[in-house]
Amino acid sequence: MSADPYNQAVRDLFTSPAHAGGVAGGKTVLADDQGVRVELSAGVAGGQLSALRFRAWGCPHLLAAAEWVCSHYEGGPIGALEKFPNARIMEDLAVPVEKTGRILVLEDAIQSLGRSLDH
Amino acid sequence: MAETIYLDYAASTPVDVRVLDRMREVAERNCANPSSTHAAGREAQAIIADAAVQLAGLLNVDPQTLVWTSGATESDNLAIAGGARYRAHRGKHIVTMKTEHKAVTDVFEMLAKEGFDVTWIEADTGGRLSPETFAAALRDDTQFASIMFVNNETGVIQDIEALGTICRERDVLFHVDGAQAVGKLPIDLSNLPVDLLSLTGHKFYGPKGIGALYVADRPGCRVEPILFGGGQQGRLRPGTLPTDLVAGLGMTAKVASTHIESDLEHLRDLRQILWNGIRDIEGVILNGDPDGFPGILNVSVADIEGESLLLAMEPLLVATGSACNSRTQEPSYVLRALGLSDSQAQSAIRFSVGRPTTRDDVEFAAGRYRDAVARLRELAPGAVA
Repeated sequence: MSADPYNQAVRDLFTSPAHAGGVAGGKTVLADDQGVRVELSAGVAGGQLSALRFRAWGCPHLLAAAEWVCSHYEGGPIGALEKFPNARIMEDLAVPVEKTGRILVLEDAIQSLGRSLDH
Repeated sequence: MAETIYLDYAASTPVDVRVLDRMREVAERNCANPSSTHAAGREAQAIIADAAVQLAGLLNVDPQTLVWTSGATESDNLAIAGGARYRAHRGKHIVTMKTEHKAVTDVFEMLAKEGFDVTWIEADTGGRLSPETFAAALRDDTQFASIMFVNNETGVIQDIEALGTICRERDVLFHVDGAQAVGKLPIDLSNLPVDLLSLTGHKFYGPKGIGALYVADRPGCRVEPILFGGGQQGRLRPGTLPTDLVAGLGMTAKVASTHIESDLEHLRDLRQILWNGIRDIEGVILNGDPDGFPGILNVSVADIEGESLLLAMEPLLVATGSACNSRTQEPSYVLRALGLSDSQAQSAIRFSVGRPTTRDDVEFAAGRYRDAVARLRELAPGAVA
C-alpha cells in the first residue's frame, strides 16, 4: 500500500477547520500566487489577535496549514505575526517539498496581515 | 480505513467468484510448465486451449488468433511497436489520437524516436473522432493506426467500424485498444474491420497480470515480437504462460458473455441516477460524450481544487484524471485535449460504476459530491460568510 499523502493532522484540520470564515469588521488581506489563494481576516483587541479566520483555495495541505496558522496566532500579540513557523508547519503537516511554494503564499498572507495591522 | 464506496471500476474490477474458483482449481491441480511434453504439461496446454476457446467465444474469433500477454499495456506495446515495425519497409507514417492511453502514446513517442512519422489526431470537443477527420490524417505512406474503443477517462466510444473500414480501404494495419470495451460492450470481431485488438482481464472482473492480443488472420496482418527468449506462442510472445491466470481470463470471458447486456442496462441506470443527482450544481460540466460508455461519468466543476475535492469526497474511491496519472496532480492531458482549461481539467472527477455498484452507492456519491463542492466553495476566498 502506498503511503497516505495526508497525515492525521492534515485530515483533522481539513475536515474540521474551526477557523474557517471571516471576521465581521476585521482587517482582511489576500495572497494570490502559485495557483492558490489565501484570505486572512483578523479582529484585534488590546494589541492581541482576538480572532483570526481564513478562507483558502488550494490543496488539502494548504487548507490544513491555513487552519493550523489561525489556531497558532489567534489570542497572541500582533507582533508575533513577524515570525512564520515555516519549518514547523512543514513538519507537523508532512507537507511534500513540491508544495513548499504554497506554504510560502500563506506566509505572504501572514506578513501582509502583520503590516496592515501595524499601520 | 473507514468503510469505503468503490467507484473506480474503470481502473480495476473485483475478480468474479467463478473466476476465482477456476483459478484456484487450476492452481491446485496443475503446477506444470505448459511447454513441458509430459502428461501434466500437456494438461496445462489443454487448459490454456480451453481458455482460448472461451475468450475467442466472447469476441467471435478463431482461438488461434489470440496471443496471451501480461495485460493491455503489453498488448498495446506488442501491437503498435510490432505492427509498425512489421510494416516499416512499406512506409513509416503512423497515426493515433492525442487522447489515447499512455500505453499507446508512449509507444508512438518511442517509435517517433526510431524514425517513424507520427500524426496525432485531435478529438472533437466531445472526444469523438469523425471518419472524415481520420481519413484526412491518412497518407499514401500510412501503414499503421491505433484508436481506442472506449476512452478510459471519459468513456467516449469511437466508431471503430467506420474507422476500420477506412483502414481496410487504404490497407492500413488497424489496432484497437479495447481495454475498456472487451467484456463490457458486445464486440463481434468477425464483423468488425479490426486487425489487432488489445485487452486485459482485470477491467472486466478477471485477474490482473493477464491479457491478450488479437491478431487477425489475414494477409499483411502480422506483428514482430518485442520479447525474446523462447518459442512459446509461435515466438510472437515468448515466456512461460501462467496457466491459472490464463484459465481465469478464459472464465472471465465466459462469464462476461452472459452479463454484457444486463450489465449495460444496470450501468445506464446508475450513471443516470448519479448525473441527475449532480447536474444542477452550478458550474458542473460533463466531460466527453453523454452517449458514451455508461460505466464512466467524468465531471468537472468550476472554481474547485481537484485534490481537495477528492479528499472532501471520502469515503468515495474515485479517480482524478486517470488512475495512471492521478499521482502526478497534473491536469489530465486527455481532458486538456478536449479543450478543457487547466482549472476544469484539474477539478475533474471520474466516477466509474460496475456490476456490484448499487443505487444506494450512487445516490450517496451524488450527495457526497454536492456536499464537498458546497463546502469547498464556502471555504474559498470571496465566499459570503
